Amino acid sequence: MSDGTTLSKDDAPELRDQAARDAADKAATYEWGFVSDLEQEFAPKGLNEDIVRFISAKKNEPAWMLEWRLKAFRMWQGMTAPDWAKLNVPPIDYQDAYYYAAPKQKPSLSSLDELDPEIRRTYEKLGIPIEEQKVLAGVEGARKVAVDAVFDSVSVATTFREELKKAGVIFLSISEAIREYPELVRKWLGKVVPIHDNYFATLNSAVFSDGTFVYVPEGVRCPMELSTYFRINAANTGQFERTLIVCDKGAYVSYLEGCTAPQRDENQLHAAVVELVALDDAEIKYSTVQNWYPGDAEGRGGIYNFVTKRALCQGRNSKVSWTQVETGSAVTWKYPSCVLAGENSVGEFYSVAVTNNHQQADTGTKMIHLGKGSRSTIVSKGISAGKSNNTYRGLVRVGPTAEGVRNFTQCDSLLLGDQCGAHTVPYIEVRNPSAQIEHEATTSKISDDQLFYAMSRGLDQEAAVALIVNGFAREVLQQLPMEFAVEAQKLLGISLEGSVG
Amino acid sequence: MNGVLDLPSTHDEAWRWSDLSGLPALAGARPGGRAPTGELWIGCGGPRLLFIDGAYRPEESDPGPVTVGPAEAGAGDHPLGRLAGHQGWRLQLARDRGPAATIEIVHVATGGPAHVAAEIVMDEDAQASLVETFAGEGWHNVARKITLGRAARLGIARRVLGGGFASLTDTASLAAGASLDIATLAAGSGDSRLDTRLTLEGGGAYGEAGGALLARGAQRHDANAVLRHAAAGGTSRQLWRSVADDRATCAVAARVEVARDAQKTDAEQSLKGLLLARTATINAKPELEIFADDVKCAHGATVGELDRNALFYLASRGVPPVEAKALLTRAFVADALARIGDEAVRAAFLADAEAWLGA
Amino acid sequence: MTMLNIENLSAEVGGKTILNGLSLSINAGEIHAIMGPNGAGKSTLAYTLGGRPGYEVTGGSVRFLGEDLLAKEPHERAAAGLFLGFQYPVEIPGVSNVQFLRSALNAQRVARGQAELSGGDFLRLARAQADALGLAQDMLKRPVNVGFSGGEKKRNEMVQMGIIDPRLAILDETDSGLDIDALRVVGHGINTIMRKPDRAVLLITHYQRLLDYVKPDFVHVLAGGRIVRSGGAELALELEREGYGALAA
Repeated sequence: MSDGTTLSKDDAPELRDQAARDAADKAATYEWGFVSDLEQEFAPKGLNEDIVRFISAKKNEPAWMLEWRLKAFRMWQGMTAPDWAKLNVPPIDYQDAYYYAAPKQKPSLSSLDELDPEIRRTYEKLGIPIEEQKVLAGVEGARKVAVDAVFDSVSVATTFREELKKAGVIFLSISEAIREYPELVRKWLGKVVPIHDNYFATLNSAVFSDGTFVYVPEGVRCPMELSTYFRINAANTGQFERTLIVCDKGAYVSYLEGCTAPQRDENQLHAAVVELVALDDAEIKYSTVQNWYPGDAEGRGGIYNFVTKRALCQGRNSKVSWTQVETGSAVTWKYPSCVLAGENSVGEFYSVAVTNNHQQADTGTKMIHLGKGSRSTIVSKGISAGKSNNTYRGLVRVGPTAEGVRNFTQCDSLLLGDQCGAHTVPYIEVRNPSAQIEHEATTSKISDDQLFYAMSRGLDQEAAVALIVNGFAREVLQQLPMEFAVEAQKLLGISLEGSVG
Repeated sequence: MNGVLDLPSTHDEAWRWSDLSGLPALAGARPGGRAPTGELWIGCGGPRLLFIDGAYRPEESDPGPVTVGPAEAGAGDHPLGRLAGHQGWRLQLARDRGPAATIEIVHVATGGPAHVAAEIVMDEDAQASLVETFAGEGWHNVARKITLGRAARLGIARRVLGGGFASLTDTASLAAGASLDIATLAAGSGDSRLDTRLTLEGGGAYGEAGGALLARGAQRHDANAVLRHAAAGGTSRQLWRSVADDRATCAVAARVEVARDAQKTDAEQSLKGLLLARTATINAKPELEIFADDVKCAHGATVGELDRNALFYLASRGVPPVEAKALLTRAFVADALARIGDEAVRAAFLADAEAWLGA
Repeated sequence: MTMLNIENLSAEVGGKTILNGLSLSINAGEIHAIMGPNGAGKSTLAYTLGGRPGYEVTGGSVRFLGEDLLAKEPHERAAAGLFLGFQYPVEIPGVSNVQFLRSALNAQRVARGQAELSGGDFLRLARAQADALGLAQDMLKRPVNVGFSGGEKKRNEMVQMGIIDPRLAILDETDSGLDIDALRVVGHGINTIMRKPDRAVLLITHYQRLLDYVKPDFVHVLAGGRIVRSGGAELALELEREGYGALAA
């Protein structure tokens, strides 16, 4: 945490909590559920090779990129969707969706002033600063955060690009990166998540429309937080973004990702791929606050969130830390993972997943230990309410040549109400005797004693629940950059409204 | 894929760590005939039954309350259990009844398949303990259905000592206040697959499944246990200890299921694995599936080598490294066998484990 | 001024009648002690006044500062100025004392139409109270009651009372499990925070030891769910000497 902000480290938790309760007062249910009315351009509905060609052409991609996409598409046609997760997902009609939707605007903007005012208003409403003088979430005194704003299928604005460029950091939409840094992109794209990796990753490889590319050169500590804000706006549209972050030797970057979508009765598909590469002594901190529309209280609508996120800790002493706060989506299928190939590399996974009403989440991580002395930490906090189901699924694997591996896993579940489910499915596969693997899990509910104690000190029931839940999730929330922690605390409170009593 | 046997593949979640590739050969092999059985009896002084290649040997048995013949094994569509057939043994105990001494059953295979179906039905407050030994070479395939009435109590200890393959499939249902514990020691030279499914149907029942799996060479032990809490106030314990040496693999998938109505459930799992060689593998999957909110469910799993601090401590007290290792490994394994109630049985099992560790 | 007026209060827990027509009136500036044998209904009285779910009022009325106390939710009772000191303070993992109390205090202030305290102002207040009661400063940052010793928990209750600054404190066996030093600190806390003309205290205790440090104006004996005898401070000493048996009879 940086100094010089108006929030001091000591004050942070209480101030955050205050912000959370302010937000809870303000927001009845899903305050991001509005639809922006603007002219959009769509590809024809459905999925076939022509659509893949259309997307590639729209983006002026080089031939190799089109070939890559077509290869993925052909592969995907022969694949079947995975069914091993504890998820009940009705069959998805892949022909009944748009795979490309973009706000109509000039092909290239010379400045942000030319951005469609409706899009600008959308991001303002969401509290996302796409103008550089603004700061994230309106937190006074917060540090500068560079933002890549992805609206349906395209990136509409990327801020602080010039300032970052001076530091040598490349931060731009992946479509631009493919054109401007083809060698760099080609070197790493699909190296961490190969195109045949899984059904949804293969689909993404064929039709991904936009996303973010970050390259931090050797020895550079990225001077500000980078972030991407994903917004699904158009109806019947899938979002397939692709993010690639490469951190060269000794470099450091902290990257934040936020997601929202309008409230609609239909289910919309989001199938993203995120690839991270950390070379020697590099460190990537990747934080997500996932708040896609979760569907209504009866389980109508909501985003199907099938995401493949994986980091390759290729270098010695490299480190990747995933932190996620998952409150949205009707269905979440997501396992941000680390392939710990480098000697003494470090992988971390901190997760809070909240499910309420009819939401289903099957999320966790894989820590694949290949490098000597590699270490990993997994802290998962699952909170289930309403009629929801929340599953932690994780794998810790130690390869035969990985000497001296350490892993510690803590999985805690909190149940609110007696109509929900909390599940823990950890896999441990160890092939080296020098490994030390520890896994612990607990399941609990908010006790009546805790509720009454907090209420007897003046908190109403919802504030008391929010406070106790935030305490339960604290270990994870404190991993987030402060601006995101504020937002995450709000979300936990809001997501659980009406779940107790 | 597997010819007439139609065996599950590792794509099937419940069989992801299995290797059944040796079964078709064993299934088709011809038994070699007689085998010495003398040293296989623990000598509990109670009823005893001998099965050779799945066939009952009355001349060496004293079945007591156990009847031999048709049995409803209740294995359903379990891919191995359903192959065990409908012939074997049956134990039915009326209310308040139970043999005073432990029932002892010895199974010997002589090179081929040995299929046995078994059924245990115990009425209210009946009580029994059972020890089983699986020896010889071949494929022991036992499927068993256990039905415990109110407050009935059953303890089962079994040891797998032979070569070949042992697939033991248990399906049990427990009425209110009933208690069942199944402890298994795998200390032979063959592979095993243990399927245990206990359902606590009545309130306040107690279920326990666990054991010690010892593997070396290219051995594979694969245990799959499901403890289902269907009613309130139940308690379950799963304590598994795995030791893998050489190129061996031990896998334990242990699940606790807590149904919506099973409030006040108290479930614990402890899965520990000890690797003795860098080419060995330990797999563990301690799984919780919970649909009730007022429950106490905790699990712990660890995999690693012997505690270096403990080894050093012993060395500093003058214990040579080899002995220190043996001592700590024995203690590690003994944890899983400590729950066996019958002292003679426990002593025999510990001796088997010692013999394996000392070999 | 009458602060608390309990009339003919009956309450049951799990279908069993525990309070059976209890009446008691407390004026501003007074400290009352309620004593009684185990099972007399002392804790039930505290929880019923605090509004704990499961403690069902079956008869009678309670007015607090002129309002119907029983109609309020627990947090509304707190906002109205009632503080319940717990015999067994509850642990809340992951939530720091400071965070907990600031949320609670500001919720109360908002409910009363007062402005919220800023982070800085609150911390100053919290630190001053912790100092006054000998609670180490770092305890403020630790999760609520987690890993606290029995004595620390009770001190923490007093720190909370000092920060919240209630009109009426109902302290349920605050003296149980305390060593001599802690008892002195707690007694001192009650005197400094609550011994004021516009405050009042209802001390619930089994032994008269705490009353060496906090001198009550009135002592009541609770038995069989109602007050069977009332008197001055000397009654506590008499109870100490003679035991409950004789008096309750």
